[in-house]
Amino acid sequence: MIASLRAESLKTRKRWANWILFGILLLTFILLGYVLTYVVLSNPPRNFESRVPARILKREVFPENLIPNMLSLTSTIGAAIMIILGGLSTASEYGWLTIQTILIQKPSRRAVLLGKLAMLAIVTLLVSAGILAATALTSYLLVTIDGSSSSWPSATLLLKGFGALWLEFAVWTAFGMLLGITFRSTAAAIGGGLTYLFVGEALLAQLLRNTEGVKEVLRFLPGVNAAGVNASFGLTFRNLNATTQLVDATRGTITLLAYLVVFTVLGLLIFVRRDVGGS
Amino acid sequence: MGLAQGFAVETSGLSKRYSTGVLAVDDLNLRVRTGEVYGFLGPNGAGKTTTLRMLSGLLRPTSGGATVAGGAPGSPGSLTRMGAMVETPAFYPYLSGRDNLRVVARYAGVPTSRIEPVLRQVDMTDRAHHKFRTYSTGMKQRLGVAAALLKDPALLILDEPTSGLDPQGTVEMRELIKELRHGGRTVLLSSHLLNEVELTCDRVGVIAKGKLVAEGTVDELRARSGGSALLVRATPLDQAQRLLQSLLLASQIQVRDGVFSLAVDPAQAAAISASCAAPSSRWRTYSCN
Repeated sequence: MIASLRAESLKTRKRWANWILFGILLLTFILLGYVLTYVVLSNPPRNFESRVPARILKREVFPENLIPNMLSLTSTIGAAIMIILGGLSTASEYGWLTIQTILIQKPSRRAVLLGKLAMLAIVTLLVSAGILAATALTSYLLVTIDGSSSSWPSATLLLKGFGALWLEFAVWTAFGMLLGITFRSTAAAIGGGLTYLFVGEALLAQLLRNTEGVKEVLRFLPGVNAAGVNASFGLTFRNLNATTQLVDATRGTITLLAYLVVFTVLGLLIFVRRDVGGS
Repeated sequence: MGLAQGFAVETSGLSKRYSTGVLAVDDLNLRVRTGEVYGFLGPNGAGKTTTLRMLSGLLRPTSGGATVAGGAPGSPGSLTRMGAMVETPAFYPYLSGRDNLRVVARYAGVPTSRIEPVLRQVDMTDRAHHKFRTYSTGMKQRLGVAAALLKDPALLILDEPTSGLDPQGTVEMRELIKELRHGGRTVLLSSHLLNEVELTCDRVGVIAKGKLVAEGTVDELRARSGGSALLVRATPLDQAQRLLQSLLLASQIQVRDGVFSLAVDPAQAAAISASCAAPSSRWRTYSCN
């Protein structure tokens, strides 16, 4: 597995697509989650209506709300980018047929995929750290520019928030990786993953969340569970109970961990057993 | 490098039926002796690549088994002692040739100090820093051979190594294959070109429709069949037939399943292909029996 991990690290570092994805992710978190929110709420349009005044709402981007604000983008753009990352890491090997080149070297198939999984775990950890650092810096700059005062979340909260971010990124990356192995096509893996995310999770879960029966099914979806985890880090000026989540943070965390294990094991089983090449 | 005396590759009743129902390899019994260059000859679709994929552990046989370089196909023990280029040389397009070999070396657990010698061996040192995506077919093939040589394997499997090469590239690749056998290395070479295996191989196994139909030296096979025939696949069929009839006697031409069997010396292959080449037709000369 170590040999495979070393090979993966070289491939991952030198692949521009990975750096571009990270750049998009970083920019989206900073621009959408912080800069644009701050600009709009600092100068609210005339028809702006909210029960909470804009001057309070803009505290969303200040350090006291670092974790909930950062996590608010994790289940949408964050999940999408990580599905693409996971899909690219496995499906490209089939597209370029490099899977053949890899598998006729020394390591077993299991070691090859475990090396890839270990690399993806490291990448998601580094991406999470990068996102946390960049959003913290942006938040600090904005509160400084605003001339307001704010406090940083406690170390425990920061650690929990970082854990939630990494877990959610890891689950979506593993989902993309599984789709890549299953479909053996980059387009199908990414297309399938994004369709599930934006139609299955975002649309259906929102539309049918109050429909009895369906609600029970929704409680098992990864996105719904991620939302449950994210909601536990409430904004300081909002009541935690204001938005009803289908699952609480504990159930959400356990379900996400279960998904991580299931996606990984399924990916391994398919990768180890299936023929490579031929028709 | 180095294998025990005996067979570097031995298959027993090896068969592969795809999920589509196609029986690609049918009860194949193949024996490649240690230290020889063995030509695996057959037309496209005969089952050569499927066989090599099974020997490399990429495909699971439907039935039968094989021993490759002293181990089960695809086992770490077998893979350590074999190098292979199966079908198209496949590498990461965004990496240079040298970085691609670095990746392969890391997977194989081979020291990176092996990279420069194999690049020199395949004459790729000058272009090794260029991205793989910029390589010509010949360069890709040579990089594929370099990757297969990284482990300094006792058994080298090369699938159609001259496929897509220009005449100069073909000559160079053949010379390279001849060099690769030095030091007692076993080479299993698949090809659809008789003259290729004739020039490079000690023994030949002929595969047709997934079955091994003949095995021996080229001379033995010729003697056994009592003559020779050149097999030509050409399209459009009617146009090809008219062209052949203008060059040969009608008794020399037979058509079966869209393949022409010409009662001529295989050495005439190039001349016939050249005479018959027309912008609208596609010619492929591939075998003899």
